[in-house]
Amino acid sequence: MFYYIEQMKRGELLGSLEHIILLALVRLDGNAHGMIVRREIEERTGRNISIGAVYATLERLETKGYVSSFTGEPTPERGGRAKRMFRVEAAGKRALEVSEQTILSMTAGLKDRWRTI
Amino acid sequence: MSRSSPPTLACRLLETIVPTPYREAILGDLIEEYRLRTQSTSRFTASRWFWSQTCRSVPSIVWSSLRSRDCLISICTAMGVYIVMKILEHAAELAISKWVAPQPTTYVVLAPVVFLTSSAIGGCVTARIHRGATKFLALMVMITVAVLIDLKVCTIPVPWWYEFGFLTLGPLAVIITPTLFGRLKQQGAVA
Repeated sequence: MFYYIEQMKRGELLGSLEHIILLALVRLDGNAHGMIVRREIEERTGRNISIGAVYATLERLETKGYVSSFTGEPTPERGGRAKRMFRVEAAGKRALEVSEQTILSMTAGLKDRWRTI
Repeated sequence: MSRSSPPTLACRLLETIVPTPYREAILGDLIEEYRLRTQSTSRFTASRWFWSQTCRSVPSIVWSSLRSRDCLISICTAMGVYIVMKILEHAAELAISKWVAPQPTTYVVLAPVVFLTSSAIGGCVTARIHRGATKFLALMVMITVAVLIDLKVCTIPVPWWYEFGFLTLGPLAVIITPTLFGRLKQQGAVA
């Protein structure tokens, strides 16, 4: 774990929305489009985020190589527009593991301190 | 507008602002969700949701575009077109004041026509060179007009809506004209 953290540059650390969106993609079997991701986050966290924010974050994650995307078939329900499906890549899974481990390391032994803050 | 068709203006706004790779996906997602919502709620509620998503998405999309490399090309294109646009506008205004209408009142009447025409042509040229640059051109037009109003460059007394018209219709002409031309071209191709 420490090896991974040392290996990750500052720019590669996940932001909070990036973290949430990657987790949502994993929950959705690593294969979903923007609106499904938005709905999953809203249902689980109560955060009403905009579709623009979801796609902007997904685009950023794609640039970092954490997710990949492909274009689906256009359907009449979508006004003849195609879906953009996203899937989590190995680098994305690794980034999630590192984030989780970082949070676990930083919060370890803090239970007693919460009461004093 | 039928029950299942989303607000047209919001769609046009997104079509203009969202960069090409995600334009289809974002609009498609919103339209699909809008149609689902019209089945369970009123059209008004669904439209309000659509508008809320559109307005809240714009800052994220604009910020994301600004961070990408594509942004520099867009800004350079917009600046280049803006400079040419202003030179032509100035030349047209000089010609009007010299040969067509020397009186200030007539000049006040013709100035908006020159301004809107140059904004519309500028918008079309920018969209032809680099579609993403139109929003930057619109922003430049808006900022310039706001600065000129603040500096009180116009010495002729005019009503408030005259200046407000410049401030709003100029950027709108830049954004909407290329879309309208695109639609007309499409219709022409179909016919």
